[in-house]
Amino acid sequence: MSEKLKPAKLLIVATKSGRVTKKYPYEEPLVSPDFRGLIEIDENKCIGCGACVNACPPNALQLISDKDTTVIRYFIGRCIFCWRCVDVCPVGAIKGTRKFELATDDASDLYVHVVHKKAKCEACEGNGGTQKMLYYVVEKSPITEEYLNECPDCRKKSFIESVAKRRAGGVSE
Amino acid sequence: MLRNTSIIDKYVKLAESANASIMVDGDTIHIVAKPEYIPGLAGKLFNEFKCVHRTCVATDERPLSGFFSLTHLFTDDSNGFYVALKTYLEGDKPRAPSIIEQVPAADWCEMEARDLVGIEFEGRSAYRLVLPPGWPSDVYPLRKDFQYDKRPNMLPVSEKVTITEESSTVPVGPYHPALHEPEYFELYVEGEKVVDVKYRGFHVHRGIEKLGESRMTYQQVNFLAERICGICGFEHSTCYALAVEKAAKLDVPERAQFIRSIILEVERLHSHLLWLGVAFHLVGYDAGFMHMWRIREKVMHLSEYLTGSRKTYGINLVGGVRKDINEEKKPKILETLDTLEKEFKELVDIATSVPQVKRRLTGTGVLPREDAVKLGVEGPVARASGIDRDARRDLPYAAYKHVSFKVPVYTEGDNMARTLVRVDEVFESISMIKQLLDQMPKGPIRLEEFDIPPGKIGVQVVEAPRGGDIHFVVTGEGKPYRWRVRAPTYNNIPALRVMLRDQPLADAPLTIASIDPCFSCTDRVVVIKEDGSVYKLSLVEGVKL
Repeated sequence: MSEKLKPAKLLIVATKSGRVTKKYPYEEPLVSPDFRGLIEIDENKCIGCGACVNACPPNALQLISDKDTTVIRYFIGRCIFCWRCVDVCPVGAIKGTRKFELATDDASDLYVHVVHKKAKCEACEGNGGTQKMLYYVVEKSPITEEYLNECPDCRKKSFIESVAKRRAGGVSE
Repeated sequence: MLRNTSIIDKYVKLAESANASIMVDGDTIHIVAKPEYIPGLAGKLFNEFKCVHRTCVATDERPLSGFFSLTHLFTDDSNGFYVALKTYLEGDKPRAPSIIEQVPAADWCEMEARDLVGIEFEGRSAYRLVLPPGWPSDVYPLRKDFQYDKRPNMLPVSEKVTITEESSTVPVGPYHPALHEPEYFELYVEGEKVVDVKYRGFHVHRGIEKLGESRMTYQQVNFLAERICGICGFEHSTCYALAVEKAAKLDVPERAQFIRSIILEVERLHSHLLWLGVAFHLVGYDAGFMHMWRIREKVMHLSEYLTGSRKTYGINLVGGVRKDINEEKKPKILETLDTLEKEFKELVDIATSVPQVKRRLTGTGVLPREDAVKLGVEGPVARASGIDRDARRDLPYAAYKHVSFKVPVYTEGDNMARTLVRVDEVFESISMIKQLLDQMPKGPIRLEEFDIPPGKIGVQVVEAPRGGDIHFVVTGEGKPYRWRVRAPTYNNIPALRVMLRDQPLADAPLTIASIDPCFSCTDRVVVIKEDGSVYKLSLVEGVKL
């Protein structure tokens, strides 16, 4: 008899466990403190170096460049919330949050843009990295200040020229 | 060690008999032979050495050496060795001898190599497996001259349900009624009995291997590998990381390996509880399903607590892990495991006493041992048919050599046996996590600086909840040169035909679900003929029913 009645024991289990469905969103919290959610980029701290863009596995962070500006674009729709960008950011501009309620009726809400001005090159009127990146480099290594008014291409060119001059033994100045 | 040398001597003799070169690198034995010797060597490895054929890998090595290469991957489970049998193929239209006569399990992977790299196999019938019917016939996506973001001109081709005179067709899919994944079965029924089955899969081939070889870097591929499967993602990312680490000979901190093992077992717990819930749902015992998923939720919370995410944990990197399990977390893990063990025991005890569950599971979907060996099935499906094989014990990886555990083996081969294997594994996993937490060494959790030299090969098997995953990596400059993935369902699907034959139709959904199929894993890499009709699994036709 007891063997036949055994399935009914589930009633005891059900009574013990009671209701497990949470009254979301009226009950807090739904996620644990360690939960990885949305990332937030601090515009003031960001230097536009692109380390996060290189690390991002799904290309949610992209670097878009035109003549005068560099834009870091974060598209939440692609983000997998791995926080690799948080790990690699050299200035700690990216912060992970526990936010997960990201549904929206406006697609533009899914984009975050951080706009940076590009540094002007004195030699060719073109440009290289962002201004903020140059300040960051100078701060870390003051000795570099005198080279930084040129873009990487011009810097290479002038370096090669000076080496060539030295080789030839001639001094033009 | 003496034992090892005598085993290696055996392999050296085998290689010498075929004029092949042999190199032993850690636990991997590389044999390079001329194409004509491959079937003979593969046959000896499979039949005499009792190696398991895991998969084969075709690589376009033209930019490196001017040749195509084909590598058959075996594992010698009783001695703990990986065997890579490689051959170089010449020309733009390379031809290789087929090994399916000797090793029937190599059928699908040879056809995959034909579709994606363009290697023709001699001595067997060829059909299109992976690529869609409209794909142009001379475009091979895994060749190095094919751009990953290129889309060839394709005409959409629709497929129709096959209608035969002898039996009625019951289409199941393209979405599985319980598992919500795209795959398609055609069941041919006479009255209530299933007489034959056709499988058409590979609807969700996502080109993951190509993406990993072209756009991504070593560390990014971990996150891509995790997305191969929604249930056993961490197994894939661990497998990838271990393969790269093996290729680059990185000495990963012990603590990282322990954390990996703990998370792997947490994932197995959640996967088995999910499957048990689905199985109860399919036999109509929904109360059991609800309660199984209620206790599974505890495991989901546990994984979020340990990794930061309920699924796709994202904590694996080449060289270690990203998140530590510190002392403060231990009491909560142990508490969760204790309540889980108690509640699970109580619930399984009640559920297996329910007459409908017992009767529907016992004696249905039988897979006899002989067929299981021939088809090379994996994981709980193999262990329920009396094959004692588990990569965690036979080819230890991560921190599994530090724990003791039983490998549950049942000989009945029916749905009940597959259920019981999983139930037993849940208890083993709980005990393993406890042992691992207890022995966890102190130290760093990842290597800070390391280089990965190009041109090295790493092969790794990881026992996922459904069976062995295998990843094969050839290292390149900043990203893998070749990355090959094989998921366990790839080997288990052909067994379905044996299981479903002469069974009532009502049991079919349950039997299909009993292999815990994961179609996205399998399809990463379609069974159709050139004319667009569905191909009948020749592999299973080989088995006399």
